[in-house]
Amino acid sequence: MTIRFKYLLVILFAIPNILFAQNPAKVTIRCTLRDTANAEVPFATVMLLTPKDSTLINFTTSDGKGNFSFNNIRNGTYLLKVTHIGFLPLQKMIVPSSIAVNDLGVLTIKPISNVLMEVVVRAAKAPLRIRGDTVEYDATTFKVPPGSTVEDLLRRLPGIEVDAEGNIRTQGKDVKRIFVDGKTFFGDDPKSVTKNLGAETVSKVQVYDQKSEQTQLTGIDDGTKEKAMNLELKDEFKKGSFGKLTAAVGTDDRWAGRGNYNRFNDKNQLSFIGYANNINQTGVNWEDYGEFKGQNAFNDYDNGDFGFSSGGGRYYYFNGEDSPLNQFDGRGFTKNFGAGSNYNYDHKKTKLNLSYFYNQSRLNLDQYSYKKTFLNDSSFVDNDTLSQENFRGAHSVATRFEKELDSNNIIIAKANFRVSGSNSTDIQQTLTSTSALGSEMVPSNHLSMNNHTELDSWRITSAAIFRHRFKKKGRSLALSGGYNINRSNGSDSLLSVTEFFKAKTVTDQVRLLKRNARSNDASQVKSSILYTEPLSKIWYWESFYNFSLSNNGVNRQVKDSNDLRMPDYSVYYTDDVLYNRVGSSIRYSNKGLNVAVGAALQQLQIKGDYSIDKGLPLLDSLDKKYNNWAPNLSASYQLPHNMWVSLNYSYEINQPSITDLQSVPNSDNPLYLTKGNPNLKPERSHSVNFNFNYWNPSSFANVGIGSNFSIYDENIVYDQTIEMVENLGLRTTMMPSNVQDGSNFNTYLWCSFPIIKTKLTVEMNGNLGVTNSPAKVNDVLNETKSRNYYLDFGVNLTPSPKLLVYVSQNVTLNNIDYSIKKEQNQKIRSYNTNASVKWQFAKKFFLETNFDYEINRNDKLNFNRDMPIWNASVRKIMGKKNRVEIRLAAFDLLNKRVYISQYGSANYISHVNAPTLARYYMLSATYNLRGFEDKLKKNNFW
Amino acid sequence: MKSIFNRLVISQLFRSIIVLFILVGPFFIWKANGQATEGKIRYLMTHNWTKQMAAVEYLSKEQRDRVTYMWGNRAEWKEYSEMFFTPVRTRYQDSEERAEPDDNGYSWRMDVYDINRDFEKQTIYDRIQLLGKMYIIEDTLRPQQWKILNDIKEVAGHICMDAFWNDTLKQQKVTAWFAMDIPVSGGPERFCGLPGMILEVEINDGALLITADKIEMKTLTTEMVLPKKIKGKHIHEQDYFQVLKRHMDDRKKDEQPPFWGIRY
Repeated sequence: MTIRFKYLLVILFAIPNILFAQNPAKVTIRCTLRDTANAEVPFATVMLLTPKDSTLINFTTSDGKGNFSFNNIRNGTYLLKVTHIGFLPLQKMIVPSSIAVNDLGVLTIKPISNVLMEVVVRAAKAPLRIRGDTVEYDATTFKVPPGSTVEDLLRRLPGIEVDAEGNIRTQGKDVKRIFVDGKTFFGDDPKSVTKNLGAETVSKVQVYDQKSEQTQLTGIDDGTKEKAMNLELKDEFKKGSFGKLTAAVGTDDRWAGRGNYNRFNDKNQLSFIGYANNINQTGVNWEDYGEFKGQNAFNDYDNGDFGFSSGGGRYYYFNGEDSPLNQFDGRGFTKNFGAGSNYNYDHKKTKLNLSYFYNQSRLNLDQYSYKKTFLNDSSFVDNDTLSQENFRGAHSVATRFEKELDSNNIIIAKANFRVSGSNSTDIQQTLTSTSALGSEMVPSNHLSMNNHTELDSWRITSAAIFRHRFKKKGRSLALSGGYNINRSNGSDSLLSVTEFFKAKTVTDQVRLLKRNARSNDASQVKSSILYTEPLSKIWYWESFYNFSLSNNGVNRQVKDSNDLRMPDYSVYYTDDVLYNRVGSSIRYSNKGLNVAVGAALQQLQIKGDYSIDKGLPLLDSLDKKYNNWAPNLSASYQLPHNMWVSLNYSYEINQPSITDLQSVPNSDNPLYLTKGNPNLKPERSHSVNFNFNYWNPSSFANVGIGSNFSIYDENIVYDQTIEMVENLGLRTTMMPSNVQDGSNFNTYLWCSFPIIKTKLTVEMNGNLGVTNSPAKVNDVLNETKSRNYYLDFGVNLTPSPKLLVYVSQNVTLNNIDYSIKKEQNQKIRSYNTNASVKWQFAKKFFLETNFDYEINRNDKLNFNRDMPIWNASVRKIMGKKNRVEIRLAAFDLLNKRVYISQYGSANYISHVNAPTLARYYMLSATYNLRGFEDKLKKNNFW
Repeated sequence: MKSIFNRLVISQLFRSIIVLFILVGPFFIWKANGQATEGKIRYLMTHNWTKQMAAVEYLSKEQRDRVTYMWGNRAEWKEYSEMFFTPVRTRYQDSEERAEPDDNGYSWRMDVYDINRDFEKQTIYDRIQLLGKMYIIEDTLRPQQWKILNDIKEVAGHICMDAFWNDTLKQQKVTAWFAMDIPVSGGPERFCGLPGMILEVEINDGALLITADKIEMKTLTTEMVLPKKIKGKHIHEQDYFQVLKRHMDDRKKDEQPPFWGIRY
């Protein structure tokens, strides 16, 4: 419609003109096309364009005799364009005609020289621009080796000749002058340019006729023309830099600094990042870390442990191994420091990554915890205070290399190296009270411990993956190999004093002093193969094989205060774990339905030797072999209307950990022992999960429902033996064992839908989980049933682009039922209300505030903690390029923040609280090379 | 030395004549036999989602830069589409054939996208699944307002010229390369109206590149026969543009890229 309307307008405006000139309103334009040999040119494309912007108005084709006509068209000014294979495009201006038939007579079109035509054909996808007598080559599409000069480049351009001396000829003529970006370069000798300038700097080569120097000087056209060449230089290689630097000071001696800087060009990315603070930021945030890793933040094909394919698409692996991301758990006060550098080389088929990071964290923690444990006929309570000073530091080096050997072969090699050290001093006081059935709690003993631990370790992980695609479409082979080593050396010195309130022995106090020396030594070799064979376009057959051999050695020597070995706690053991798995599956993939059915045979062999110390006689040895069949099913179906369902079934087999198998007790706390079980069998479970998703692209509504269910054939659980030990008090011993029982079920729902599109969105999240965990407590089987309900409801409101409001409410209910002691069943409750506002209240001024009210309840324990947290900040962006931001922030304005957690499991219930950073104010300044956004951002996804 | 170059040029000349004959020859033969220009074109569509993100101007620069910086070299995926054409009609659809070598054959459901152009009757008949709804667009043919440019290059053995169209609705800068020797005004997606068949389309500097990679000249049988009545809302082209425009506006207000939910 609009096109016609425009025509109408043009015609209307043209009417007075037409009337005046007495020109007809409509005309027929006709013409005959001939070539330079006066032969008719049939089947040429003829176009009528607007002269202003070359908009196509009409087109036709010349007939067998080279004639064409445009009938009954508006009488106006046109650009007539004739194109035909083998001919130079011809353009001719057509003015309004005074008669109804505008016969242009004969138009002659010039053939393109064959050489030039060859350029078009040979240059393949390279566009060749022909503008009148100028021919333009796209230099970037002609490959020359690195370091080549322009002369080398010119030799490759079809239609251009360069002789041994470097003289250039084209279309039979010498090129007399060379310009660079239209300017004369290094005097007049063309060779000085072509021999000196690097080929990689040139983007286009233009060859054209230039009036002779004589003509240019005298202004009299002598008719001779010279060939000239212009070299257009590339825009600077795509390169740049960005970064941020922040410094902040606060009340109560709070301070923070962080910065990052990235430099890049089209092949290289180099970045630096660093942070230091005493405000509990133990690492960097996700965005900064992602940019730090750059092109290497995500990698595909990186998983070499092949197995059943779990659906299609390409998988990207976030390179999060040893990542220095902020992982503060909310307890205590930390001082942190970290810095690193990353380099990526990424060019065509080669990718290389090198990165180094150092981070450290010093934690000061005071923690109070309450734990109530139920026995058949009694219960006891531990009131525990812990004061800990902990230091951790680690150097990590990561490398990754990827090379596409050709389009069918790719190789990836990775290696990571990490050295870390930690030391910790823990001072712990535990008051234990016991109660017989129904009676009051009576304090029984008090334990105080002083424990100092030091640990140094290093680790290498490495892997190589090779993937090959066969000529047959869909057939592929992948091989992988890996080698890992992990070594650590540590020492503990433990001092514990137990006091009894009802003295049972002559002494009412027991002192224990132990010194541990620990060393761990583990290495692993592994390899996998995956082969995919397409049986047809919709049937695929996949097979895999996994192999791994691990060698572990643990030496733990415990000495008492007299420096004598305590043989009951000392152990030296080595073991070899051999793992083999072979599996196969058949998959059907068609029209959005993907179903795969398969099975794997898994064999696990564990051999171990135990003695008290290296060189001492063997105490025991272990030789176990487990064979299991594991079936597998995965199905997904994409329904019409953006719905998607999936169903997966797998049989999971998990080998017992080495510590779970060795029988010598491990204890840092005299009242708490853990012990392995040499007869432990692998854990086996049936696992099913189901998911449904729906997305409405028009209303932007989202719904997701899913559930997963696991039921154990063989479950590893931790049995407890709680007994009164002479001179020690109530001691808990944990030991793993197998039971043929246990299950867990979890189901979730999430949805988000707009009430008023783009302004008001409602979100809802719900979760229901039921876990049945059996375990023996003093030889009586207890079934703990934990039911978890979670519901979250949120509203996102955007009244204007300058105001964003978010309000949410969530409820968590956790009901824990014990089969052996129903009267102790617990109901843990927590409620959380949150409101946040972001408001741009003036140009470049922003107010951000967040209020959070958390309620924690457990009526049975009279536990009742409310925590209102209010944060607020004002920031201003400054500078022409918005590069500076000044921010005044208040954290926890009501001074209420502490760490609180409630937990219940097996036969106990506990809550923990720990002081942490509460109210402080902070002023910060940030300089951002890239500049800050001077408006509110609704979404900050990447 | 010079003689080597001369020989090179001569051999090039020779080859060029052969190539030209191969290229142009059949065309004349069909014409001479009075046969129809008909057949099938397979297009390879290469999506580059970081470039698609980079072209969304209302997203913050930081956001777009970050995507490019972190994903730039791993952002492509490929698929095929196909077109059947006669001198006066074209039919364009997605292909079942897979272009990604590494998807292990995983099958995705394809939305209906059936684009029919009749240059004789000057009509369009499109079946498009858009934003979860099925639309049937029947209207008169109104091609894009192309501007003819001056470049030539070869695509799939055909010499092509370029033309440009600025799509103000979808915010796309479109460069189309049309073959001078296939006199059918069709093209991939909803592009048409040039003097020759469009064999390549580049949108937003490579955010989407559609290139003909296989052209078969053959006599068609039932490929152009439209399916029997299909459920859907019958609309005019203007209504289709309205639906698109509303979506584009909403996405802009939500600061989300518009192409999640609509065809790029």
